Amino acid sequence: MKGTELNYGDLEGFFKGLLESKAVDCLIMPRRVGNSVSYMLVRDKDKITAPESAIFAPSFGVNAANIVKGWLIDEKVGIVAKPCETRAAIELIKLTQLKEDSVLLITVDCAGTYANEVYAANYADIGDQVDSAKIKELAGKEISIRGACTICENRLADVGDIAIAQANGEKAVVAGLTDKGVEALTAAGLSLEEKGLEREAEKEQIAADAKANLEALPKIDSEAALEEFLRDCIVCKNCRDVCPVCYCKDCFFDQPLGNPAGGDLLNLAETRGAVAVPANQLLYHLTRVYHVCTTCVACGACEDACPKDIPLTRYYPVITKKVQEIFEYVPGKDVKEPLPFTTYEDDELEECLK
Amino acid sequence: MGEEKGDFEPKIVGFTCNWCTYAGADLAGTSRKKYPPNVRLIRMMCTARFDPMFALKALLNGADGVFISGCHPGECHYIKGNFYARRRIAAMRTILKQLGLDNRVKSYWISASEGDKFATTMKNITEEIKAVGPNPVRDEIL
Repeated sequence: MKGTELNYGDLEGFFKGLLESKAVDCLIMPRRVGNSVSYMLVRDKDKITAPESAIFAPSFGVNAANIVKGWLIDEKVGIVAKPCETRAAIELIKLTQLKEDSVLLITVDCAGTYANEVYAANYADIGDQVDSAKIKELAGKEISIRGACTICENRLADVGDIAIAQANGEKAVVAGLTDKGVEALTAAGLSLEEKGLEREAEKEQIAADAKANLEALPKIDSEAALEEFLRDCIVCKNCRDVCPVCYCKDCFFDQPLGNPAGGDLLNLAETRGAVAVPANQLLYHLTRVYHVCTTCVACGACEDACPKDIPLTRYYPVITKKVQEIFEYVPGKDVKEPLPFTTYEDDELEECLK
Repeated sequence: MGEEKGDFEPKIVGFTCNWCTYAGADLAGTSRKKYPPNVRLIRMMCTARFDPMFALKALLNGADGVFISGCHPGECHYIKGNFYARRRIAAMRTILKQLGLDNRVKSYWISASEGDKFATTMKNITEEIKAVGPNPVRDEIL
């Protein structure tokens, strides 16, 4: 792997170099506003100041891939984001909602994130950057990372075109993961050398911890449990709107059949005697979990967006993971690997149909 | 409860492909095979037309059982439609298994020449769904 080690102070020059050299036409990257961190779309390199205070910040507001969903543009946009966001962008490329040639995916190591409002409120305690020891310490003060981050198995930067990995001291390893990434790094003026960035042991440890946390989550394993779990859902569909991989232009649940009103609803009440309103609560969540079952990157944006605080991390990432397992598919791992529903093998899945 | 389970007549919705299972049902009829009248068939041109939402909607509207059946894998009239369908059905059933809802869903491969198999399968599924009992959502307000 080709890369180089940069001091935090040099990161600004690197991002400016990407824009200046036209390796990308614009960048979507985190920027700091007081105690908060949010994304900006930047074309003028002079607008980039002190990126090291923002790109490592353990704050999750939106999934960056959701911003570029459906952007079928010809200009090249660089996206500086966390691994789950890069993985969602890769799924969007496969779903033809994003052009592979018009993105440069720059992935930053993640240790786990706080909901952006939690991060801003506790900035004094959390700071610009955390590691797992710091996360444990903060948990003692009842400042907890997002549920989705506790079950995340892939939080080291190993997907996308360029990885920005944390190194000892105030340093970062910037490495090209694809030819496109190496080209961009060279264009930005970095002199590259061979860099080992495998970190297999660390990855295994993270995956093992995440699996244990997932196993410990309460299960939704019967219709009664599902109804109980979704009881407070008001079918606002925020979980759909913030989901980076839920992309239908005309969602079934925005159409008269999926979102019945007026006379349609009266007719339903006539046949069934009574109908729960807002309608289709169960059908909505069951259909949505099927629609994202192979592509859900378990980023937890749905849980953050739920106005009724339903812990959707216990539902979407958990249920979809089992489906991904039967197809031996890890969403966002490899842009060349076909989506499970677009391919097949002659002899397969007998066990699942019993 | 056990008695109630045995006594009721389940409503079963079947999604079948035009070329194999629907023709198989036809053969069962023309060869005068008897099978329970609990199944209601919905004919699709291919199992690849099957959208898991069909099954979800049927179940949430009170169907006691749902099945999907088409040509044997490798024998699809459209060459590979049922290969894609198999993946979707497997995904749907994997989801439903985790939520404890899969016991009302079945899937088969029945060809046009298997009238006998169609009749037997319909007998079996009716018995199986009778054993599972009436769909509780019928009494609920969903």
